Amino acid sequence: MAGRGQIRTNNSALIAMIADEDTVTGFLMAGVGNVDLRRKTNYLIVDSKTTVKAIEDAFKEFTSREDIAVVLISQYIANMIRFLVDSYNKPVPAILEIPSKDHPYDPAHDSVLSRVRYLFSAESVASGRR
Amino acid sequence: MEDDDRCSSSNPGGIGQEEEDEDGKVLRFLDSLDSYLTLLDALSSTLRQGWFELASARHSMGSSRISSVLLDQKVQSAATTFQVRKSIDGSPSESHPSFAISKWASSRNGKCSFRELEVSRVQKTSKNSELRHRGSSNFYEEHDLTINASSTISDSDVQKERSKSLSVFGTLVSPKLRGAQVSFETALDAIVEIANIRSSMLSAFTQLQQEMKKDLG
Repeated sequence: MAGRGQIRTNNSALIAMIADEDTVTGFLMAGVGNVDLRRKTNYLIVDSKTTVKAIEDAFKEFTSREDIAVVLISQYIANMIRFLVDSYNKPVPAILEIPSKDHPYDPAHDSVLSRVRYLFSAESVASGRR
Repeated sequence: MEDDDRCSSSNPGGIGQEEEDEDGKVLRFLDSLDSYLTLLDALSSTLRQGWFELASARHSMGSSRISSVLLDQKVQSAATTFQVRKSIDGSPSESHPSFAISKWASSRNGKCSFRELEVSRVQKTSKNSELRHRGSSNFYEEHDLTINASSTISDSDVQKERSKSLSVFGTLVSPKLRGAQVSFETALDAIVEIANIRSSMLSAFTQLQQEMKKDLG
């Protein structure tokens, strides 16, 4: 995955967030909030009323914007759009799955770790070499 | 036996060198994988602290004063931004992104000033054999990280930016809310580290995949 696609260098890129209210509020307090002239924000607060379509649209929008370097997504939300997250393979923006208050981080569901997991199966590097 | 001797004499260090390179790549991958998991553990601890402080602030200030409804929808630029650079490990074709953070950037009177905190990859700098302690919220501080902090704005400016960020919640805010702000700032540092380690891990993984294809092909 690394090296595929052009790496856009940027000196002033944003971090996008798709997470619950407390997580987004916390990071906004840290100064990452951005609202552009079209009133588009770099975050989506997900609650019980947020539809899967809205989450998908936000993910697609954030991953296609050139001014975003990292997309933070709560892992339980990433699980709702797992197919979309797992099929994403660009180097930038980087997708990071983070825990939420009610859902601790589970390495088994992380898309990056899923990608590299097969190296530890029967057809590992060591067995392939010998 | 004699054929083996002839082969080894004609290519005495070649095969051994290749295996060493491959081992190096495997070690690099495993090292970055371990760092990734440990950093995520540290991030979880930091976030838990931030959520707890936010909940405490909500308890003391009232739920209506700390709510997403209050979040400013006016046009504004992010005070904390990221920098994306190209990092090359080994061959030039194996470039991968490298991330750095600029906290509380501000431009006043046409003069751009910023505080840049660049945290290099843990794997690049930790060449010692220290044991890593999982579950520590200060993991990324324990390692020998290279931190270049060129602060061209004063701490008072940073405090002003922090207060400005909290102003949506009112003029007087609970110290717990300020504590939560610091926790989430710390979480951002961890996120930069994680992004860099992830990038390094995927680069090492790609190289290993290519090695495997060569071995099978």
